[in-house]
Amino acid sequence: MLFDINTAVGHWPFRQIPNQTLPELRRYLVSQGIGGAAVSSTNAVFYKNTQDGNLEIARELEDYDGFFVGVATLNPLYAAWERDLETCAKLGFRALRMLPKYHAYEWSAPEAQAMIAKAGELEMPILVPHELVNYRQRHHLEPEKPLNFNEFLKVAEANPNTNFIYMETGVKPDGNYPKNLYFEMSRYRSSYGDVLATLVKNVGADHVLFGTGSPFKAAEPAILKLHTSKLFGDELELISSENAKRLLKL
Amino acid sequence: MKWYCIPERYDCIDAHNHVWGTPNNGPLNVEQTKQLLYSADCLGIRKLCVSYPITKPGVTVESMRYVNDIVVEAMKMSDRLIGFCFVDAALGQAAVDEVKRCVVENGMAGIKMYHQQFLEDDVQAPVMELAAELGVPVLMHAGKCTDPATMASQPYLSNASNFLKAVKKFPKTTFIQGHIGGGGDWEWNLRILEEMDSDNYFIDISGSVIDAGIVRRTVNAVGIDHVLFATDCSMEEGVGKVQAADLTEDEYMKLFSGNMKRIFARRRV
Repeated sequence: MLFDINTAVGHWPFRQIPNQTLPELRRYLVSQGIGGAAVSSTNAVFYKNTQDGNLEIARELEDYDGFFVGVATLNPLYAAWERDLETCAKLGFRALRMLPKYHAYEWSAPEAQAMIAKAGELEMPILVPHELVNYRQRHHLEPEKPLNFNEFLKVAEANPNTNFIYMETGVKPDGNYPKNLYFEMSRYRSSYGDVLATLVKNVGADHVLFGTGSPFKAAEPAILKLHTSKLFGDELELISSENAKRLLKL
Repeated sequence: MKWYCIPERYDCIDAHNHVWGTPNNGPLNVEQTKQLLYSADCLGIRKLCVSYPITKPGVTVESMRYVNDIVVEAMKMSDRLIGFCFVDAALGQAAVDEVKRCVVENGMAGIKMYHQQFLEDDVQAPVMELAAELGVPVLMHAGKCTDPATMASQPYLSNASNFLKAVKKFPKTTFIQGHIGGGGDWEWNLRILEEMDSDNYFIDISGSVIDAGIVRRTVNAVGIDHVLFATDCSMEEGVGKVQAADLTEDEYMKLFSGNMKRIFARRRV
């Protein structure tokens, strides 16, 4: 079974994207052989009051028999984020997404540290995309650069009680990373240079998660990467779905 | 997934890939080239057009010859590797001589250019005219990057509008616009390319960008007869995004190899 840790629904203002609704996204993922997904709100990237975006998908998620698991998107600079995070946890959201580049805060800011600590208390892993779309095609209202991985890493190291899933990244597969740092694999090369296998060898199969980036990206490349990765058996199971289930407490 | 490996019947050719040298101007990086061929085997890619572009300004005659010698080494290592000759036309007669050395004497199949000059610049004329005479294509690194860092580092990066100008200025030369998925606003490029009306224009689908719809929209913009399969080292990305385009059998045949074979058939030497 494939569980996709990296999906979203909602309107993206800078490019027409297919499968923006939950029914469409589910149909698409199922057509790719994917049996479940963590989903976040694209609207929440742009709403000042991000919680409205979370509540929009919370109402719909109930109709999907557990296929989708909600990921809350919150801005630590906005009012009432702490209450919102608690509300999301009660509503069944199992993870938090933080977007310092889109919500215009420093990753090391005290407000961000408070949110990270709170997520840790609630045992919600934090999904952090390196970028949402490739920065070289940015709309002029989008960030000029992706997140700086070294800055991200320092914060992850300073918060050992919170789990982080770094997404949309191809950072060095052979670094000495803290145990609370996990990697979504869709942007790693696979058969050419065995990069994905190298990542797994170095950080452990229990620290890599399958993801596609749907509906922004085509899902097929990520599926192909798993297929050509030289990973089999238990390792493949962990990456395909078991790590996500464990981290999201499914 | 339709397939994890491109079926043999498509006789797949990767129109845009690379080989590299070892550090300090050393010989071909054989291990990396083996990895490339292994990846191609995994994915059903039969042949790969390879070049070794110099990606910064300041190309010299010596550095240009060095990178092309590496490509010759690669061609000797495997007959699946089809060489493309890198030149910087600013080197004048030396660039022309290098094309002759690589294409005529060493059997390379095309010319590779980077962003040292715009595609339609006057300085390109001697190389473009020779490419037309030899009947080999010119593949150029291209993109419409909108981030400040790339715009600053690649001020002469060609985009679709440069190709529109080039096909008019050099009407006998065959052009390949590199990597619609190589980074940058690919939709902007496609809107410009709706105006393209030349049998000598092709675009390859390579690059790490796998945005939903990128291949289908490229086909819609320029027509399937002008789109080439390629990866530019993003191997699963290339194969996966083609599958996502849900092409017809005839379209797959043209994209995976038919169009590139049509380009190769133009060769006159």
